[in-house]
Amino acid sequence: MSGDLERRYRRVLRVLPGWYRELWEEDMVATFLDGWLTGDPEADEYISTAARPEWAEVASVAGLAARLYLGGAGAPRRYFAWGQAVRRAVLTVMLVHTTLALDVLVRTAWNRRLFGLPAPPASLMTASPGGAWPAVYYVVNVAWVVMFVALVLGHYRAARVLAALAIVPGLVALLQAQVTGIMPAPFGSWAFWVLFNLVPVLAMTAFHRDAPRAARWPWLLALPANYLLVVVPLLAIQATGNSAWVPDFSGLCCLLVALACLAHAPRAWSRQAASSGVWSLTLTLLAAVAGAYRIITLSGYLHDPHLIKVSLAELLILAAAAALVAPDAARAQAATPAPPPHPRTMAA
Amino acid sequence: MTGQAFFVLTALADGPRHGYGIVGEVAELSRGRVRLKIGSLYGVLDRLAAEGLIEPDREEAHDGRLRRYYRLTRDGRGALAEEAELRAATARVVRARLRLAGAEAAG
Repeated sequence: MSGDLERRYRRVLRVLPGWYRELWEEDMVATFLDGWLTGDPEADEYISTAARPEWAEVASVAGLAARLYLGGAGAPRRYFAWGQAVRRAVLTVMLVHTTLALDVLVRTAWNRRLFGLPAPPASLMTASPGGAWPAVYYVVNVAWVVMFVALVLGHYRAARVLAALAIVPGLVALLQAQVTGIMPAPFGSWAFWVLFNLVPVLAMTAFHRDAPRAARWPWLLALPANYLLVVVPLLAIQATGNSAWVPDFSGLCCLLVALACLAHAPRAWSRQAASSGVWSLTLTLLAAVAGAYRIITLSGYLHDPHLIKVSLAELLILAAAAALVAPDAARAQAATPAPPPHPRTMAA
Repeated sequence: MTGQAFFVLTALADGPRHGYGIVGEVAELSRGRVRLKIGSLYGVLDRLAAEGLIEPDREEAHDGRLRRYYRLTRDGRGALAEEAELRAATARVVRARLRLAGAEAAG
């Protein structure tokens, strides 16, 4: 009687992990069908043939699947390792956004000689475009900073909303450029928005109620440290008129992730640090994102063999460094026990 | 404790219920404001079970399907009572402040 409808709903439930389906699938199906079937054979036959699970129902199962695959407290080891790795990768990408936003805000202040700053060198002077975009742009940059702090402090919902809003102007600008035909490197521009905006915002579903809080101070201090160790040296190189030595954004991502892999490799190989595997998995994820972006942006350099060689060298360095931590990343999936579920959470 | 978890525990306070029974009871308790989707309901149920606040009671056959009933554990009863007290205390404060603000506006 419930055949077709039941089959459709079971198909939706296939997005859930196997271990979860074993425990809950029959009960979920029974509850779902209770909501549809009336007990009248004729009506039920029609419902079974014509009805389909509503989108809201499918979305609720998808949300449950995201929480289970990107596990938190009480999750099986494999899903907890993936959950932690995705959360750290998202935090890292958001740290990059926030550092870039801070850079824009500092450059703006410097260009406008706010706070009594002296005039910047000519190589750092930037022209401000007209219209409403500059205002939107600066609000977005402030939003990234607030979003990162909110995420680290555990205000996940506020961080998700801010991040979702912060990526919209970028999408609007891309669509505008696409329509007007003034986009210089369409693949690279779209790849940046998808890989560094859309995917991390979607991956923020990993920050659910069961997710352990991020280590607050290390992540907050990472922002000024990243600014001082990465942005300031790049600014200094630019200020001295040596911009040609500064790698492009995708090259910089490849080199920074490669450096992080090299720095982490001794821990990954020692097998003594219990938490090293999650970092190895995080770095492998970041290497995949940086590598994919480097490959896509190669299309913008087809006219210049030198830049192609430099880009391929960056890719090779990244791949070699990622290979050092990849075995530990694979082990992490079986060796990272999740903390037990909260005995009782009274937070709102 | 989330609003959904609070409503689910409340729905089980007067006796065991199966999944669809909980959905209906929560809708009624919340005067239609909380309509649990199945994915959300089982997200709450598995979390409450992992926290030891609810447990399976029995299974009954209905139209060829097995309905699993859930009941509150002793810990679940305690957690619900504590949460209800907290919410009632908050509601008392809200009412008192609203009365005070109303009196000041009138005066």
